[in-house]
Amino acid sequence: MSADLPIPVIQFLQVATIGVAAPGISGVIAKVEARLQGRRGPRVLQPYYDVAKLLRKESLAPEGASWVFLAAPVGAAACYLTVPLLIPVLTSFGLPLGYMGDILGGGLILALASFLVAIAASETGSPYAQLGASRAKTFSAITEPVVLFVIFVVALVTGTDLPYALAATVRSSASQIVRPAHLLAAAALFMVILAETGRIPVETHTGTNEFGMIEEARPFEHSGPYFALLKWGSWMKQLILYTILLNVFVAPWGLAATAQTGDVALAIVALVGKAAVLGVVVAVIDNSFAKLRLFKITEYVSAAFLLAVLGVFTLYLGGG
Amino acid sequence: MSATAAVAAPSVYSGGASVISLGVLLAEFGMFRQALLRDQVRLYAVQSGLISVLAILVAAVRHLPDLYVLAALSAALKVVIVPIVLRRLLRGIGRAGEDEPAAGWTEIAGSGSLSLANTVLLAIAVAAFGFFSVRALDIRSSVLPPTALEISVSVALVAFVLMITRRDVASQAIGFLSLENGISLAALVVAAGLPLILEVAFLFDLLVAVVVFELLIRVHHGRAESLSTADLTSLRG
Amino acid sequence: MLAVILLLLILPFAAAAVSLRAPDRVAEAVTAVSGVACFGLVLALVPAAAHHNLDYLSYLRVDAVSVVFLMATSFLYAAVAVYSIGYLAPSRRSREPGFSRYSRRFYTGLNLFAWTMLAAPMMNNLALLWIAVEVTTVISALLVAIENTDGAAEAAWKYILIASAGLGLALLATIFTYYAGAQVLGQHYDLSFTPLLHAGARLPHTPVRLAFVLAVLGFGTKMGLFPVHTWLPDAHSEAPTPVSALLSGSLLAVSFYAILRYYQVAAAAVGPAFPRDVLLVFGVASLLLAALYLLDQRDVKRMLAYSSVEHMGILAIGVSFGAPIALAGVLLHVLAHAAAKGNAFMGAGVLVHKFGSKRISGITGGLDLLPWSGPLFGIAILALCAMPPFGIFRSEFEIVQGGFSSARYATPAVLIVLVTLAFFGLTVAANRMLLLPARGGAKALTRGEPSAWMVVPVVAGVAALLVLGVHPPAELTGLLSRAVHQLGVAT
Repeated sequence: MSADLPIPVIQFLQVATIGVAAPGISGVIAKVEARLQGRRGPRVLQPYYDVAKLLRKESLAPEGASWVFLAAPVGAAACYLTVPLLIPVLTSFGLPLGYMGDILGGGLILALASFLVAIAASETGSPYAQLGASRAKTFSAITEPVVLFVIFVVALVTGTDLPYALAATVRSSASQIVRPAHLLAAAALFMVILAETGRIPVETHTGTNEFGMIEEARPFEHSGPYFALLKWGSWMKQLILYTILLNVFVAPWGLAATAQTGDVALAIVALVGKAAVLGVVVAVIDNSFAKLRLFKITEYVSAAFLLAVLGVFTLYLGGG
Repeated sequence: MSATAAVAAPSVYSGGASVISLGVLLAEFGMFRQALLRDQVRLYAVQSGLISVLAILVAAVRHLPDLYVLAALSAALKVVIVPIVLRRLLRGIGRAGEDEPAAGWTEIAGSGSLSLANTVLLAIAVAAFGFFSVRALDIRSSVLPPTALEISVSVALVAFVLMITRRDVASQAIGFLSLENGISLAALVVAAGLPLILEVAFLFDLLVAVVVFELLIRVHHGRAESLSTADLTSLRG
Repeated sequence: MLAVILLLLILPFAAAAVSLRAPDRVAEAVTAVSGVACFGLVLALVPAAAHHNLDYLSYLRVDAVSVVFLMATSFLYAAVAVYSIGYLAPSRRSREPGFSRYSRRFYTGLNLFAWTMLAAPMMNNLALLWIAVEVTTVISALLVAIENTDGAAEAAWKYILIASAGLGLALLATIFTYYAGAQVLGQHYDLSFTPLLHAGARLPHTPVRLAFVLAVLGFGTKMGLFPVHTWLPDAHSEAPTPVSALLSGSLLAVSFYAILRYYQVAAAAVGPAFPRDVLLVFGVASLLLAALYLLDQRDVKRMLAYSSVEHMGILAIGVSFGAPIALAGVLLHVLAHAAAKGNAFMGAGVLVHKFGSKRISGITGGLDLLPWSGPLFGIAILALCAMPPFGIFRSEFEIVQGGFSSARYATPAVLIVLVTLAFFGLTVAANRMLLLPARGGAKALTRGEPSAWMVVPVVAGVAALLVLGVHPPAELTGLLSRAVHQLGVAT
């Protein structure tokens, strides 16, 4: 148990953890939400069964769709598999491939994935898919400034924009947790995550309500294995964003400080546990608030922007 | 990667105090969002409660026993009495149905002159001005971090925006009360050792303001049957 | 002297207490007696204050500057108290329902209002000063709303909101002044004025500057400086006439007094240049705005309200000049403006009552129909326009002379031009009201004064203006020169 794992294995485990645990987290959220509503809810492992079922089904493409339609899910999944290499998933020390890109790079790759899916959806000519794609892109555009300001907070606090550095800073003392800039940035990021993963108050995750569909409408025309890839990709995006929030801002504990097998195993369990807890929080929020009407999402984003801007101000001007 | 200098973390006390002050500012912004008058009053109570908590924190850490009294007084007045008075006032007015009593307490606040998102952006710009200008003055306080003073001035400025963009008398009155909150936060930062006389002035002012607002809202409602100020346009030029 | 000061504090409050309970005839008599008595008491203070400061009980301080403002307030209190007897008489005669309640509220409010305005200049403590000004806001807002018309409700709401927000800024100024004082005098500094003034040169600069700007903005809201004057025309035109006279003549002056105290502190701490520049900007802006608005007015009381803004601008400009003679002119202007504005409002009240309308177009033939009030109103308007031999001519002349003697040429020139513009506005309106022939036919009105009570105070006011303009008595000049010395930092 005290054997050191080789670094490439740890890097692979980073990606594998995200990939394998992602559907599970989604299942946990669905189960908790159903319980809160007084239902029994689906199995926690139901998403895995869904993926297995979809892989067996045939895949159809609409007339007039080109190779992009089929390549996009694959490309998106590839992006989502790359990002875990850049963020602190399991370890508190930087891994070699982790220096490929900083937090800005990670954001770019996530945006690329979203872009590919949107392109594929626009290609289909189906009204629902195009609706979802255009809405998704518009709202991403207005949440971008918020994300940028959060990154500025990271940069100002640590002097770099490496997520590993911020995690280390937060772990260093209690004063780092209580500082207002950190709390504000975390809150702003949480609001952005709710928007990006398609949760209340931005969008209803379950069901296909045409008035409010944003993310959910994009994979409308895909089917079979490609649909499975898209769903799995969106679950991975959710877990990746949760990981960034947890391991960089909110609770950067439980990460392996050494490369020993035991520490790494503990780190995997800790990550899944923390993500599950965050999922429970998201489920509670899902059941407590009503979905915002589409044009009110700008108010929501302005609130997140406010938090992020205040974070930068208190940091830059107040020494906080 | 860039090698800019990192901003050092404040002490736990400074950080905590800054967070509470930030809560006051966020409550101020929250008042833009609240559609119901009842919620605005509750948010005002929350804001006043936060300031009392901050006063108690300062009193405990900086050993200023006078502040306990102040915190208790202002909590009693602003968290309990003023919301009760406002609720009684608003319950008595508002659009009355034929058989039901007037329901001003659940009245929806008049729409602002700008949309909500634009108003928040304007308020952010105004708050930024507050932050930068107070920073430039470089006034150091012995009891609270400088962030708190910047926040208090920003709260005052954002309260002005609230008063200007709102179109009904109750929201304007609550905006004024939150302006007083901002100023009392500034007093806490700069003048924590202040003799009780100024605090008495404060609370007296608040009490009187509430009484006057009550009377004037009644007068206004009595004439116009509504709380909107959209018709207060006869005096011009 | 302590007895005099204490009486000054007790008398109006006692009158208010009486008016709360007593029938209206008693109330009006008590108010009139209280008013005249207070004026007499203040006159008794003049010789003492001209020689030394009167400091008692560590909270009361009556120096020469205070006495000037006390004179302005108490004179108008006396005039208005007598005027109100005639003002309310028609409502009593016509037995309107709710009259006794109205008159009780009116007299209680009037006495309380005068009480707070008399207390404010006597406070030796910046916090108490702020409290006094805050209480004046509250009471005057209730008085503005007393008529219970649509316009009065709107005006009172605007007034209380804007003035209270402004006083919030003034409270911030007080807090920063405490901060500055505490740096030098210790944490237990209790905002007393005298020690602050003595410690002047040692105060830290930035908080004092900030406090001064906030004080000018905050108290300037109550004084009627641009851009925070917007409540003024509404409130002064919608209030009942005696209240308008007190608002314009005394309340603006008391707010100016507060600004003067902060000016003293700022000048002692950072030197006179900065406060003067600030006041210059606000003064010129107010004067400009008022002069332009005066050219196109339709409501007589609104017009007089803009004239008040104009004169407040002139006061700010006068202080910004800084020469001793300009400061003397400023203080004389406070007195003369109180008398002249009071006269103008009282005369306007008679006109409004006689013709039943506040609109200038609705009032014609004033000279024919009102043998006393008509000419007196005309004289009051001319006095407001700085016509010799009245007091305002002397004070504005001194201000302009002070400007030239401190080597500023542009500003006095601008002042003269703008005052001339204001003259145009005021006299055109006054001409229409007084000189045009009265309406004939079925709507013709009979010639005659509504009430002698409404004429006597105006006559007294004109007499005061003549005295101030032609030959101010020696004690008064002594008082003014001592006040200038206290305010003054030599140019």
